Amino acid sequence: MSLQTLSPHHSISLPSPNPNHSNGLGFDWPLRSVRHEGFKVCSVMSRDTRTQTQTQTQTQARKTDVLRLIDEAEESLFRTGKFGRFGGIFVPETLVTCLKMLLSEFNLCMHDPLFQGELSAALRDYVGRETPLYFAQRLTDHYKSSRGGEGPDIYLKREDLNHGGAHKINNALAQAMLAKRMGRRSVVAATGAGQHGVATAAACAKLAMECTIIMGNLDMERQSSNVLLMKHLGAEVKSVPGTFKDATSEAIREWVGDLERKYYLAGTAVGPHPCPAMVREFQSIIGIETRRQAMEKWGGKPDVLVACVGSGSNALGMFHEFVRDEDVRLIGVEAAGTGMDGETHSATLAKGEIGVYHGAMTYLLQDHEGQIIGPHSVGVGLEYPGVSPELSFMREITRAEFHTATDEEALDAYALLCRLEGICPALEAAHALAHLGKLCPTLPDGAKVVVNCSGRGDKDIETVSKYQQLKNGSVSDRNKSNHPTKTTSNVVNI
Amino acid sequence: MAFAAASSSAATARTSAQPDLAFRIPSNPPKFAKFTPSISRRSPPISCKMAATAVDKELDAETLQRPDAFGRFGRFGGKYVPETLMAALTELEAAFNSLATDHEFQKELDGILKDYVGRESPLYFAERLTEHYKRHDGTGPHVYLKREDLNHTGAHKINNAVAQALLAKRLGKKRIIAETGAGQHGVATATVCARFGLECIIYMGAQDMERQALNVFRMRLLGAEVKPVHSGTATLKDATSEAIRDWVTNVETTHYILGSVAGPHPYPMMVREFHKVIGQETRKQALEKWGGKPDVIVACIGGGSNAMGIFHEFVEDEGVRLIGVEAAGLGLDSGKHAATLTKGEIGVLHGAMSYLLQDEDGQIIEPHSISAGLDYPGVGPEHSFLKDLGRAEYHSITDEEALEAFKRLSRLEGIIPALETSHALAYLEKLCPTLPDGTKVVLNCSGRGDKDVNTAINYLKL
Repeated sequence: MSLQTLSPHHSISLPSPNPNHSNGLGFDWPLRSVRHEGFKVCSVMSRDTRTQTQTQTQTQARKTDVLRLIDEAEESLFRTGKFGRFGGIFVPETLVTCLKMLLSEFNLCMHDPLFQGELSAALRDYVGRETPLYFAQRLTDHYKSSRGGEGPDIYLKREDLNHGGAHKINNALAQAMLAKRMGRRSVVAATGAGQHGVATAAACAKLAMECTIIMGNLDMERQSSNVLLMKHLGAEVKSVPGTFKDATSEAIREWVGDLERKYYLAGTAVGPHPCPAMVREFQSIIGIETRRQAMEKWGGKPDVLVACVGSGSNALGMFHEFVRDEDVRLIGVEAAGTGMDGETHSATLAKGEIGVYHGAMTYLLQDHEGQIIGPHSVGVGLEYPGVSPELSFMREITRAEFHTATDEEALDAYALLCRLEGICPALEAAHALAHLGKLCPTLPDGAKVVVNCSGRGDKDIETVSKYQQLKNGSVSDRNKSNHPTKTTSNVVNI
Repeated sequence: MAFAAASSSAATARTSAQPDLAFRIPSNPPKFAKFTPSISRRSPPISCKMAATAVDKELDAETLQRPDAFGRFGRFGGKYVPETLMAALTELEAAFNSLATDHEFQKELDGILKDYVGRESPLYFAERLTEHYKRHDGTGPHVYLKREDLNHTGAHKINNAVAQALLAKRLGKKRIIAETGAGQHGVATATVCARFGLECIIYMGAQDMERQALNVFRMRLLGAEVKPVHSGTATLKDATSEAIRDWVTNVETTHYILGSVAGPHPYPMMVREFHKVIGQETRKQALEKWGGKPDVIVACIGGGSNAMGIFHEFVEDEGVRLIGVEAAGLGLDSGKHAATLTKGEIGVLHGAMSYLLQDEDGQIIEPHSISAGLDYPGVGPEHSFLKDLGRAEYHSITDEEALEAFKRLSRLEGIIPALETSHALAYLEKLCPTLPDGTKVVLNCSGRGDKDVNTAINYLKL
């Protein structure tokens, strides 16, 4: 099942079944992406005529072509689990049944008015939706001041005001409700910055479910306040060496070890189908509200949407509603870390290549041997070597554009929004805000820009404080790296 | 702060009435029992007896003005300030009154409360908490939480800060000052000043600055100037004195954002008015949810602003019980608490007549609570009034009970409440067993507890 979509006359070599593996299934999870003797995976894929080829998509698609591609992808999604050639269900056979059941439960609850009613009430009374669409007057004036008073109008979608402080809870709460409906009693999740961990722990407390959160030890150090919050909320927090990608692998492993009782709560739009689609659906409330609020406020649609991209959940949540509105520009901003030249960044769509990771075909940061490159960013939540397959698809059909922002630019953007609007954004969201510096000078007067302020930055105050201290320190220090120590790991993806 | 006589502040504090007149109070101050304006048990002044008689005739929340033209709630409240500040207070009151009927102002404020602060805050049915209070026969009250913790900056404080900043702008003031203890009010003030582009100076005791370094950094990041105060015990009281001194000196250009319903008139009324949106929303939401009014409203009391914010709408609804919960700290008998309305006596503090924690010589007793926001030796005059009228009841909760409640709400509902709010939540343990089946209890969840996780973890041994 997992290899059906690949053409038969090549091979992506997989590790052979290991009967000694601790989970007893005989498979290492997730799959490792490997190049086949000089062929890159992506060029192998291009021989598959059933999906859109790379050559075809590289030619500038006419606008109606883009819409057609989107419609095709949507139509085939629930059947094949793919967005164009991305996505899929690259999992051991044992998990396929589980994922199919998840998919059918998900479909059921999406059409169940009772579930939808309960979810809406919970989003309203527990999470605090709808979140405002806030006109950032002073930020707007700031960018207009260098152009003689002309420039775009900047709005912030205030996902920072959600319970828990980020957009993550939209998905965590919905999936926890789904898990409960499926009769699961225990939830396991992986978290990077900790926001998904906090959201999941909160949702589980509310729904009286057991909760295990797995977090990389390096992340736990950098976002220790979130660890405390999870513990207060009654979750068990387990540490694994490394960062989010390692935590994800471990969480999936735990899930696989107890498929009957446990529910793996994906925090972002990666993983095997139906995880990316599910997360996107639950986050799409962001875009749905934005459309209505934009109509109320200025009687039209946004011209440009900007969101940070780690794995892609907040970006997809904002973009999805507008994906067929070709006059709405979609901009994702990834983490350039300390710079795009080395390996200390997390700019998957800018620098990655196609492969299979955590169950899905997507862009990922890998070296010439197919080993995962450990990503880096000061925005811990952006540190993921892969990216949502749906965003990979949108990049390929040129429906969305992707840029990057460095650690320093994000840290400066954090300080700017604090000073001008009294809002401290999460460092992740600060990457999107940082891009305004390059974007605004190019936009006509009065263009409507909506930035997804995906989280609040209380958790980052120490990081920003250290950065400012270094910045205001000796001049010679300016050339040194300004972020907290982080070792990049070339951990083999297992 | 020492609007009243210097003797009413702690023994080592500097006086503040005029900037040049500061003198050191010796460590063993002479007793001023006969002179002090604060009322001691042994010598009740004649004026208070007369006031008491007058009030007896009007023990009626409905007919009595809250406050009257002099800023009095019965015998409480008033304007006990140096002459220099009278003009500023009068100007402030006039400005407030005119803006209350100014539709443009109201519209602008409503827009900011909606898009910036994130109102309206939900009225959330706490299902698991309700379940927790169900008796063996399955009966028990229904507990709802008014989610002020979801506001921008995480507490109710911003409602007032935003409105006062807007008011200051209307008055043409470009400079804002405030004092802060743990930093929450400072952060809220710095936040709104950033939003409105106002100059912001926060006075903070040097000792507090050390303990709250991150909050200090946060305020500076928001563009505020944080001025350390080294005098006295270098804590909140001393920071308040400095703020007053600044205001007296710069009254033309400067607005003083007071964070609670305390202080001289018009502050108690103004701050209440800016928070009353909490109660107004609650009324509407209660009607939508169960077609009626709350039966009981519970809120924690430090200075009293979040409580007044939710009580005010319902003060004239006799069927609605109003319960305020203060901090009993280490216990009411330990001497280390902040239960002003339970253990305090009437006197003047920070420009208003109210209950306050004072010793026999009229010296302020240093309060204690695990939660910084409740750690205040006075209380808003309107609460003193409601207590005396019997319109509202006031209880107290220890540090330990509050911490238990902090843990309980976190585990049962996935909401981490502020330690201040936890005091109100702890009172539910005593209240709910006494309430008939289906009673609607609304608790003002005045703030989130992210700021308290480190404090709590030491106690809860996680």
